[in-house]
Amino acid sequence: MSDRWVSGRQASGRRVSGRAALRRVGPARAAGAAAAVLLCAFPFYLDAFWLQVGLFSMAAAIGAIGLNLLSGTSGQLSLGHAFFLAVGAYGYVWLAGEPGPGLPPAVAMVLAVCLSGLAGGLFSPIAGRVRGVYLGVATLALVFLGQHVMVNAEGVTGGFNGRSVPPLEIGGFTFAETDPALVVLGVPFGAEERLWYLGLVLLAAVWFSARNLLRGRPGRALSALRDSEVAAAAMGVPVARYRSAAFVVSSMYAGLAGVLIALAFRGIVPDYFGLALSIDYLAMIVIGGLGSVGGATAGAVFVTALPLVMGRYADQLPLVAAPGATGHAIGPTEAARYLYGAAIILVLLYVPGGLGGLFRRRVRPPTPPVRQPKEQTP
Amino acid sequence: MTAAAPGLRVRDITVRFAGLVALDSVDLTVEPGSIHALIGPNGAGKSTCFNVLSGIHRPEHGSVRLDGTELTSLAPHRIAALGMARTFQNIVMTSGTVADNLLLGRHGHSRAGFAATALRLPHAVREQRAQLERAREIAELTGLGTHFRTPVDLLPYGDRKRVELARALCLEPRMLLLDEPVAGMNAAERARTAGTIGELRTRFGLTVVLVEHDMGLVMRLADEVTVLDFGRRIAGGTPAQVRQDPEVRRAYLGAPSPQESA
Ligand SMILES: Nc1ncnc2c1ncn2[C@@H]1O[C@H](COP(=O)(O)OP(=O)(O)OP(=O)(O)O)[C@@H](O)[C@H]1O
Ligand SMILES: [Mg+2]
Repeated sequence: MSDRWVSGRQASGRRVSGRAALRRVGPARAAGAAAAVLLCAFPFYLDAFWLQVGLFSMAAAIGAIGLNLLSGTSGQLSLGHAFFLAVGAYGYVWLAGEPGPGLPPAVAMVLAVCLSGLAGGLFSPIAGRVRGVYLGVATLALVFLGQHVMVNAEGVTGGFNGRSVPPLEIGGFTFAETDPALVVLGVPFGAEERLWYLGLVLLAAVWFSARNLLRGRPGRALSALRDSEVAAAAMGVPVARYRSAAFVVSSMYAGLAGVLIALAFRGIVPDYFGLALSIDYLAMIVIGGLGSVGGATAGAVFVTALPLVMGRYADQLPLVAAPGATGHAIGPTEAARYLYGAAIILVLLYVPGGLGGLFRRRVRPPTPPVRQPKEQTP
Repeated sequence: MTAAAPGLRVRDITVRFAGLVALDSVDLTVEPGSIHALIGPNGAGKSTCFNVLSGIHRPEHGSVRLDGTELTSLAPHRIAALGMARTFQNIVMTSGTVADNLLLGRHGHSRAGFAATALRLPHAVREQRAQLERAREIAELTGLGTHFRTPVDLLPYGDRKRVELARALCLEPRMLLLDEPVAGMNAAERARTAGTIGELRTRFGLTVVLVEHDMGLVMRLADEVTVLDFGRRIAGGTPAQVRQDPEVRRAYLGAPSPQESA
C-alpha cells in the first residue's frame, strides 16, 4: 500500500520489467477505474433511498479517513470526533445561513472546514499533555462541551431543534431541487443526485490527499509517533508539533464530513452529534483496519449503511421491528449496532488488518517479501 | 558528514529515578573521530547516559556539550538536528518496509509539509524521490540493499538491528550512539556489523559512542573506553589500560563476566 511511489524503482540491477510492473499495478488500477464509472452511473439507476445511503456513507468515509489519520496512524485515541463533525456542520450552517453572516455557501463550506481545523488546533495543547486512554477521556469532554453549546447557543445553533441547512451553491449551480427541474438523460436530478456527485468529488479529493499524506513524509512521522514517540523524536521528528498537526488535519476532514452530512440531512440537530456518533467512527476504523484509507472507507460504508438498509427491510428480517413499532422486537438501528459490535469482535479476533487488510490480501496475494538468499558473510 | 568531527564533553551528569541514582556525577569525553566504548555491568547506567545525550532524559545537573553547544536544555529532535543519532538497546522500529524506516531517518533532511505532500506538489514528489535514492545508498552501505523493500517484521533479528543502524545513519550524523549494536547476533553478523562501524569511522570520520557487552568487539574497535558501575565512572583509558584496571575487574566479578566472550 505504502509503496506505490517507489514501485518500479528497484535497486539497480533488479529493475522490474515494465510488464511485470503493469501486472502488479494493473488489476488495482482497472478495478479503481471500473468502480469510478460505476459510482458515477448510480444516480441513473438508484432511487433516492439508495442515493441517501451512499451519500451518508461517503460523508462517513471522509470523517473516518480523518479519524484514521489521528487514531489509526498517529495512535491518538479520540472520542471527540463527533465534536469536530459538529463544528463543520454548524459552522457551515451558521456561516451560510440566517441568522449568521450569510456568506456564499461555497465560501462557508471552506471556512467551516478551516474552523474545524482550528478547533482541532486549539484542542491540541491538551492532546500534547495526555496519552492513550486519558486522551480518550479528554476528547470525550469535547463531545459534552459540544452538546452543551449546541443546545444553549440558540442564536447560532438553533438550540435543541437545530437548524435547517442552506443548500450549497457553486458558481450558480444549486445542490438542491430547482424549479425548472434539471433532467439529465431522462433522469430528473434532484438534491440526492446532485449531492451524490459532490460527495464523489469530495471523497476522491480526500482519498487522494490522505493517501499522499500517509505515504509521504508527514505520514511516516505520524506512524513513527504511534510506534514510539521516543524513537521518533530521536530520528528528528518534533513530537508535539506532529501530534497537534494530526489533530488539525483529522479535524479538517471531520469538518468536511460534517458539512456533507448537513447537506445530506438538510437539517441538523444536536442529538445527532453525540457520543454514539464518535463511537460509530471508532467502530468504522477498527472494522476497516487501522491505518488505511481503503479500510476506513469500507468500515464507514458498513457502519453507515447497515442500519439504514436494515430499517428499510425491517419487515422482511426476523427479530427486527419496523422503525417506530412497539413490542419486544429490537429496532433496526439497535440491531445494526449489535451486528457491528459483533463485526468489531470478529475483526479483532480473526482479521487483524480489518476489511481493508482482507481486501488487500485478496487483491495482491503474490507479493512475497523480497526473499533474497541471505548473503553469506565471510 | 565532512565537517570537522565534534567533541563531546559530558560533565558531572546526575540522573535520579525515584531515589535510585542511575548516574552519579559522570564525566565523559569523546574525542572527535574516535570510537569510544561505554561499558559496565547490567544496570550500570549506560543506556541512561545515552538517553541524556539524546535529550530523552534531562539530568538533575551537569552539562553535555557537543562541539560547544549545550544539549541538556534541548528537545530530542533538536539534538538530532545537531548531528547526534542513536540506536536503541531494544529494537524500536516503525511498521512498514526497510525503506519506510530509513526514510523516517531522513525526516530532518527533508522539508515537505502536510499541504505539499497531500497535494503531491512537484517539489514534494521530487524531494521524496531524492530522499529515497539517498536511503537506498545507505541501505547498500549497511548491507541492506537486497532487503530495501522488505517489511521489517519479516526480517531476522540481526538484520533488524542493522536497519536501526542504517536508520540512524540516514540522519547523516556527526556523532553516532550505538546501544548494544551486536547483542543477540551470531558471530558472522557481529563481525559484519563491527566491520561496518569501523568503516563508518574511517570513511566518514564519524564519532561513535558504543555501549557493548561483547568485550572482544570493544577491545578491537574502541580507541578509548569508559567504565560505569552503579552509575559512577570507575575507570577510563585505552582498552588495554581498562582491561588491567583492578576496579574494573572487581565490578565485573559476580556480574556475568563480559570477558568470557572476548
Ligand atoms: N525510566 C526509568 N525509570 C526508573 N528507573 C530506570 C529507568 N531507566 C533506567 N532505570 C534504572 O536505572 C539503572 C540504570 O539503567 P540503564 O538502563 O541505564 O542500565 P544499563 O547500563 O544500560 O544496563 P544494561 O546493560 O542492562 O542495558 C537501572 O537500575 C535501571 O533499573
Ligand atoms: Mg542498557
